[in-house]
Amino acid sequence: MEVKIERENAQVIVHLIGRLDTPASLEIAPQMNELTEAAGGTIVLDCSQLEYISSSGLRIFLSLRKAAGEKGGKVIVRSITNDIRNVFMMTGFLNLFEIQ
Amino acid sequence: MKLSEIGDRKTLRRSTGKALQLVLIAALTLEATGLLQYFYSQKGFREAAYGRVATQLQANRNKIMDVVNQAEAAVHNNVSYTRASLERSDSIIRVCWAIVRENPVVMGSTVSLVPGYLKDNPLYAPYVYNDADNNMIAVSLATPEYDYPSKEWFTMPLETGKGYWSEPYIDEGISDEIMTTYSVPVKDKDGNVAAVLTADIYLDWLAAMVGEIEMYPSAFYMIVSRQGRVMVSSDKSLIMRKTLDEIIEDLDDAESFAPLNRAMLEGKSGNMAIEVQGDKCQAYFAPVERTGWSMSIVIPENEIYKDLRRGGLITIILQIIGLAMLVIILRSFIRGQLKVRELDQKHERIESELHIASSIQMSMVPKEFPPFPDRKDLDIAAAIYPAKEVGGDLYDYFIRDERLFFCVGDVSGKGVPASLVMAVTRTSFRNMSAHVSSPGRIVSAMNDSVTSMNESSMFVTLFCGVLDLAKGVLRYCNAGHNPPMILTDSIRTLPVESNLPLGIVSGFEYAEQEVRFNFDDAVFLYTDGISEAENANHEQFGEERMTEALRGWKSAAEHLDNIKQRVSDFVGDAPQSDDITALFIHYMPVKHSITLKNDINQISLLPDFIHQTIMESKLDPELEGSLNLAIEEAVTNVISYAYPEGTEGTVVIDSDVGHSAVTFIISDSGIAFDPTARAEVDITAGVDERPIGGLGIHLVRHIMDQVRYERIGDRNVLILTKKY
Repeated sequence: MEVKIERENAQVIVHLIGRLDTPASLEIAPQMNELTEAAGGTIVLDCSQLEYISSSGLRIFLSLRKAAGEKGGKVIVRSITNDIRNVFMMTGFLNLFEIQ
Repeated sequence: MKLSEIGDRKTLRRSTGKALQLVLIAALTLEATGLLQYFYSQKGFREAAYGRVATQLQANRNKIMDVVNQAEAAVHNNVSYTRASLERSDSIIRVCWAIVRENPVVMGSTVSLVPGYLKDNPLYAPYVYNDADNNMIAVSLATPEYDYPSKEWFTMPLETGKGYWSEPYIDEGISDEIMTTYSVPVKDKDGNVAAVLTADIYLDWLAAMVGEIEMYPSAFYMIVSRQGRVMVSSDKSLIMRKTLDEIIEDLDDAESFAPLNRAMLEGKSGNMAIEVQGDKCQAYFAPVERTGWSMSIVIPENEIYKDLRRGGLITIILQIIGLAMLVIILRSFIRGQLKVRELDQKHERIESELHIASSIQMSMVPKEFPPFPDRKDLDIAAAIYPAKEVGGDLYDYFIRDERLFFCVGDVSGKGVPASLVMAVTRTSFRNMSAHVSSPGRIVSAMNDSVTSMNESSMFVTLFCGVLDLAKGVLRYCNAGHNPPMILTDSIRTLPVESNLPLGIVSGFEYAEQEVRFNFDDAVFLYTDGISEAENANHEQFGEERMTEALRGWKSAAEHLDNIKQRVSDFVGDAPQSDDITALFIHYMPVKHSITLKNDINQISLLPDFIHQTIMESKLDPELEGSLNLAIEEAVTNVISYAYPEGTEGTVVIDSDVGHSAVTFIISDSGIAFDPTARAEVDITAGVDERPIGGLGIHLVRHIMDQVRYERIGDRNVLILTKKY
């Protein structure tokens, strides 16, 4: 699992690459926690190369979304694959995020 | 003495004579078959030995060629570099450095110039080698003591103009290992032969190959050079000390060795029978091309046929016991016969003979159920219900090398002759399948042995199957028998080539077929005593009623009882006209299992495991991601909740691929924890109301068709099912 963070204008773009299973979620949690500082602005989670996500990965997404809600920011989920869209649908996440 | 007593004695004598005749015929038949069987099996064992040895020789050859190719490539790749270096004699030695440095197999290398090629330096031969401490050392071979222009490695490539592998020699003073040298001639840019370029390799690794010929402990193994020098041998005293010719000189029976030695020196491959100190042996030999080497393995025939001979002895002992029993039973029967003269004597005799034949026959089939109590993957039940007149039905099964061998057969005739043919068929099945695993070959060989003794023109229909218990593949061969029923998600007739019954055409090649067996599949073999059972109105039981009777079975034994009941209900008071034989095999392997430690990082082992399971099921491969997700969530729950921080334990995941669903069974020995008891999360709640946790079990429920938790003993067991 690899995470690449880019800052573009006012946006923070996070590229999630690989399988976000439980061990991977534990591994990237510190990096993702730091992002809550930017939660006042717009955070884009680029999922075009995200192959798999489990509930621990969903938790990271939800924590970020909650932080954004508190600070008045925005979390956009971009380019999700069908598999991941399916998981989002099963968990009602499609309604919680702006999906591009 | 009354007149009637004299009559009794005459009858007794006459009956005893007939009985002896019967025993004699039985004995001759059994012995003749035994001998034939032994002959056929011997061929099989010899071929099996040849196959094993040929594979071993081929493997050794491949290992040798690997090193040979590396060494030859090292030399050939440096020919043009050598040619270029001839322009400036002080750069010649650099070629040697480069070869030794770049090629781990090459221990030493020289570029030795043709005498007189350099005007100011008539003999010039720098040599670079790795010493015992792996330091590269350079020396000159151009010394009067060594006289390199006279050496074989130098002269042979110049004579032939080609690459040459030298005879092996001992690397004296440097490593004391066996070495050989590959050398090629090098021409300068004007086309004049100018030098010889070489690479030396050690042969110490050759010796390690000997230890790998383990299957025959007293096998004699040897690799010899082009001139017959022993390079490697299971007799270490010969290595580098003797040539093939010298070995012969030391032996009393030199003549029997001569053809083998000749074949090896001529680089032939094959096998031959030879005699070593009075013992018959099989010798196998094969050359190693380019090097001129040759390998051979000599195995005493005693060793090849060891198992066969032991089996033969047991068969003979059993036959003698069987015949002795026959004699005893016949005698007591004849004596008893005199006391029941008022009965129809002729009829009684036939009945009794048939009864004896039947009991001998019945004593041959396996009758303990369940036959393999330790195996969870097999449930087998079988039975023969003989009719009043004995036919020649038979079933048999046994497990060898994780394969279940089984057969059901029916002899065309009736009475004692039929049961003798059946006994022969059964012995033949056991003998052939003891070392052959292809049902087609087993049946072809059984056919040859039944045909060769079949003077009474009886034939046998037979179905023979070999179920690979690990892979779930059933290979089968049908010799004119009723096709079995196969029970998967539906009940149907197994498609079979009908071939020919046994005993009709000698040498007939029986075709073999294959079907995949999944978890929970079963096969039902039967004789026509079931399908052709008739009621009082001469209606037959038929396949349709049989298919109906096969529905809703539970265990193999219950199933068999059910079939028997149905047939006897159908037949009613009509007499049973033929033997009824049935064999039911239910296959239910635990397909896959994986055991994880309670460490979250072990989750990464799941995808492969799930992939394997899905590939064997009828599930849509696109479901792999979501199944993986469900299993990961369930396992993560166990690791996080069933095992408190700091405790160690395992999670076992078994997967069963059934014919209507895949089942995953996740179990652990942690504290009682029921994930299904957790409240459902509200997935319609907004961001602020949404709890962070609880999504895992929600996903499991959503993806799987059935989620069930049980506390069994001190284990948590979670059963997840996905239907097709």
